[in-house]
Amino acid sequence: MSKARLPLLAAALLLPAALLSFAPVTRAEDKITIGVSLPQDDNPFYIGMLKGIRARAGELGFDVATVSSNEDKLKQINGVQDLIAKGVKGILISPIDAVGVNAAYDAAAAAKIPIISLGRGSTSPNQTIHVAMDEVQVGRDIAEWTAKKLNGKGKVAMLLGPSGAPTFRNLAQGYTETMAKYPDIQIVFKTDGPLTRERGLKNSEDALVANPDLKAIYAANDDLALGAMQAVLAASKQGQTLVTGMNGVPPALHAVKDGNIAMTVELNPVLWGRLGVDVLASYLKGDKVEQKVFIKHVVIDSSNVDEELAKMAPPKS
Amino acid sequence: MTKVVGAARRINWAGQAPLITLLVLCIVTSLLTSRFLSPINLTNIFVQSSIMAVIAVGMTFVIIGGGFDLSVGSTVALSGCIAAMAMLKFGIFAGVVSGIAAGAAVGLANGLIVAALKVNPFIATLGSMVLVRGVVYIITGGAPVSGDDGLPGAFVAFGNARLFGIHYLVWVPLVLLIVLSVVMQLTPYGRRVYATGGNREAAYLSGVAVERVIASTYVWCGALAGVAGVMLAARLQSGQPTAGEFYELTAIAAVVLGGASLYGGEGTLYKSVIGVFIMIVLGNGLNLLNVDSYWQRVAVGAVVIAAAAADRLRSRA
Repeated sequence: MSKARLPLLAAALLLPAALLSFAPVTRAEDKITIGVSLPQDDNPFYIGMLKGIRARAGELGFDVATVSSNEDKLKQINGVQDLIAKGVKGILISPIDAVGVNAAYDAAAAAKIPIISLGRGSTSPNQTIHVAMDEVQVGRDIAEWTAKKLNGKGKVAMLLGPSGAPTFRNLAQGYTETMAKYPDIQIVFKTDGPLTRERGLKNSEDALVANPDLKAIYAANDDLALGAMQAVLAASKQGQTLVTGMNGVPPALHAVKDGNIAMTVELNPVLWGRLGVDVLASYLKGDKVEQKVFIKHVVIDSSNVDEELAKMAPPKS
Repeated sequence: MTKVVGAARRINWAGQAPLITLLVLCIVTSLLTSRFLSPINLTNIFVQSSIMAVIAVGMTFVIIGGGFDLSVGSTVALSGCIAAMAMLKFGIFAGVVSGIAAGAAVGLANGLIVAALKVNPFIATLGSMVLVRGVVYIITGGAPVSGDDGLPGAFVAFGNARLFGIHYLVWVPLVLLIVLSVVMQLTPYGRRVYATGGNREAAYLSGVAVERVIASTYVWCGALAGVAGVMLAARLQSGQPTAGEFYELTAIAAVVLGGASLYGGEGTLYKSVIGVFIMIVLGNGLNLLNVDSYWQRVAVGAVVIAAAAADRLRSRA
């Protein structure tokens, strides 16, 4: 019995080794290698981000080493440690959790290499730079767009995100302070809660019952907006009550095309990845970089939605 | 010369197959990348293995006893969250104790369901895996537990600090392994576990309280998953309701790589830890070699299948 086992375990070992010889293994010790750790490797947003990182790194002559974590925080910490052991010169990370993977930031700091957050940020004092969305500005842009459509007049409802989440607080702050500049626009309804379609629907129904002359609904993200859209359609108020979203997910873009959602804001993950590499490159060169760098966002409405949908259609690799 | 050959012959090579596999894996990896044997990487491998080693030791108890436990991943999350919540209110000691107790309680419930109600362990623990995960979400509201000012500093330090040059996280499995190996190899209780798993009927006829023995293996497994959950909470500086997903699969794979039989009665605690090292070194090596994350899944899956096939062939021989 024991004889049969040894070759099998050898096979267990050799199989991955054999697979490895097929896998694209890049090794060039003299080039600068940057490490990348994203929360998922099967989510379109992060696939796009990685695509941007690889493209920009290629242009700048960097090698890219990636580790995947599949939303497992410990795996993300371990992966970052592996990158450091590998000798990368800097790390781009999208932390799964603002606290849970702080050990990864500590490890990078101990190895004296920069660690830059993309998208989600960390509370760690060792976070070198945060490449983030300018949340307040996005809120202002949504408000400005809405106010223009309403000719600066009318009642508005706000469906905020979860109370306490800084992203949605900042968005709402930008929106509210901009609307305050328009004396004839009143915010008549305001709720916070989870970012679900169901809540978007229920809250909007209530808002429409309470204010039959409601002119616009601000939804903190696209899922809320899609729910709000259903309420507006059910009340036959299409065109009378505008719904605005945020994120630019495909179903929302289609709704913009159909005219059921008036506008949304797209955060382009490919550009986000490219910007991350640029920020890291400047930092490595010794240029002075702000602690927080903002990614550009694009307002999507009926005027440019076709372009955006065409971009998404068949992903050319 | 003949003496050497004779000595070599006396060693049970097949019994050392896990260790040989690990050594070959290390040699191959170190030939492919010089970074592998760097002190920082070796430290990383020990720290990365520590939490899974504790889970695998517990899993070995259940598997030697002829059972199976799919609920350890959820138990890790439950223990981590309960430990974090209790710690924020009542201090570190209370947190650690209640985290481990929660794990033991899940193990006891599993043990009673399997041993007393005679439910197939696969189904029983599949059920508790889902149920416990639900409980974790209920008690935490789905949000990470880290309080307003984070978990106590001493506890967070435990996740990163060293004693005599070795991380606390590594000391835990080291001490547990020594103590529990004595229990399994040198006490009548240990022999009863092996006997029950090897041939339940024969064990029963020779006077072993087989139900009680089987239930006890699940308590060990749950309690050790609890210990792992507390360690993970320290590492993640928070209790994370989503933590530990798929840990059960890694643990079972490691135990089988360590030469335990899924048919029960066979297995050694330290070899299961070697199995954990094989899994971790494989992942670490693939990261250092810059292997694409999609290929990594293929490689890890292939190793698990090969190990299971080895187990199957061996038990047939």
